[in-house]
Amino acid sequence: MKPFRFKAIINDRPVELLIPPNRRLLDLLREDLDLTGVKEGCGEGECGACTVLLDGRPVNSCLVLAPEASGRKITTIEGLASAGRLHPLQEAFLEAGAVQCGYCTPGMILAAKALLEENPDPDEQTVKTAISGNLCRCTGYVKIVRAVRLAAVKMAGKGGGR
Amino acid sequence: MLPSFHYYQPESLAEALNLLADLPGPKKVLAGGTDVIPALSRGELAVEHLVSLKKLDELREIRRVGANLHVGALVTFRELVSSPLVAGFCRLLGEAAAAVGGPQVRNQGTVGGNVVNASPAGDLLPPLFALGAQVKLCRRGGERVLPLAEFLLGMGKTMLMPEEILTEVIFPALPGGAASSFVKLGRRNSLAISRISMAVIIFRNRQGRIEEARLALGAVAPRPVRAERAEALLKGRCPGPALLEEAVAAIAETVAAILGRRASAPYKRVAVKGVARQALLRAVPEFGKP
Repeated sequence: MKPFRFKAIINDRPVELLIPPNRRLLDLLREDLDLTGVKEGCGEGECGACTVLLDGRPVNSCLVLAPEASGRKITTIEGLASAGRLHPLQEAFLEAGAVQCGYCTPGMILAAKALLEENPDPDEQTVKTAISGNLCRCTGYVKIVRAVRLAAVKMAGKGGGR
Repeated sequence: MLPSFHYYQPESLAEALNLLADLPGPKKVLAGGTDVIPALSRGELAVEHLVSLKKLDELREIRRVGANLHVGALVTFRELVSSPLVAGFCRLLGEAAAAVGGPQVRNQGTVGGNVVNASPAGDLLPPLFALGAQVKLCRRGGERVLPLAEFLLGMGKTMLMPEEILTEVIFPALPGGAASSFVKLGRRNSLAISRISMAVIIFRNRQGRIEEARLALGAVAPRPVRAERAEALLKGRCPGPALLEEAVAAIAETVAAILGRRASAPYKRVAVKGVARQALLRAVPEFGKP
């Protein structure tokens, strides 16, 4: 098994390292790069806890072979806050009380970020569809949906957000 | 942790076909990975060589060539959902792609993967059956085109040889007047595997009479099944509530005969009626108008 030279932009920083090719993107992020905001839930693409953005689109990092993500732009929850300030989605999740155990939260926020970049003013149904690949076993989703819409308002106030 | 394997990222289709022809031992082509990666991590799939299609951008296109649509193997479900060509010439395929998994899986999973995986519950298979799709299989020094109905052999089984790559799916574009729909019944709306699905294509003449109906059912047999009795009885008639119920009854009979004594049969025998009614009504609303 020849090592694979993995190169990508992760959270706006270039990363280059040699990895065994039989690594999932999830394992690369957590084990090699300490980005433990990426959570493993089911490991089968059913729960969305391991969601990251690949070129801005949400994917399940447990279903992505790490070398397949080479050369691309990867965003994890660690890449959202900047200059010590939380992203409006993170603020909104706190303010709306949308976090209970927190395990699904990174994935939820990243799925929501992809949505808001495409559609800055989504209605409730659109938010529900956008997070339909993310399971939460604590909250019943009501506050999560509210938080995403609150973030949309915050981001509109800031001229479209980041 | 995944089992170990050799991994390749060929730069062109020719290079990929050379690799597949020359590499000894068990090998597998990797497209979106949504089925292959979990199969590897569960230990259900043993490969020595994994050949990634990642760099083969020529397989990412949806093209109209004459009367046909060519959908590249690496086109994702999401791309099907948002493609104007799909919306214009095979709406039901977009509806089926929208019903797959959740947004994450739709961003990753591909047409070629869905076909090659040959799951009885594969959501693109019933619409592709109804569309009369063919698949193009390339190998070093040759290619062949097979009807999907011949390519799919059963649960997880296809005519694909280890040295071949399915490069595209080809089918006649539907004319503007054709009605179509796809309806899926899962245990819930998202992330659910189809329990029953149905694809409908209906051609009508100017008077509204049905000239041809193609009805393909998914997840009731190892491969999609055409509801031929119902197709025959719709032919030459005008849609309305009475005809709808006749067709639904005929579809339910076909399904009951296929299901036999499977554990899910009592449920599916009843549930298929709702799926069929909804799919026919969505394709042709006149089925609901007396």
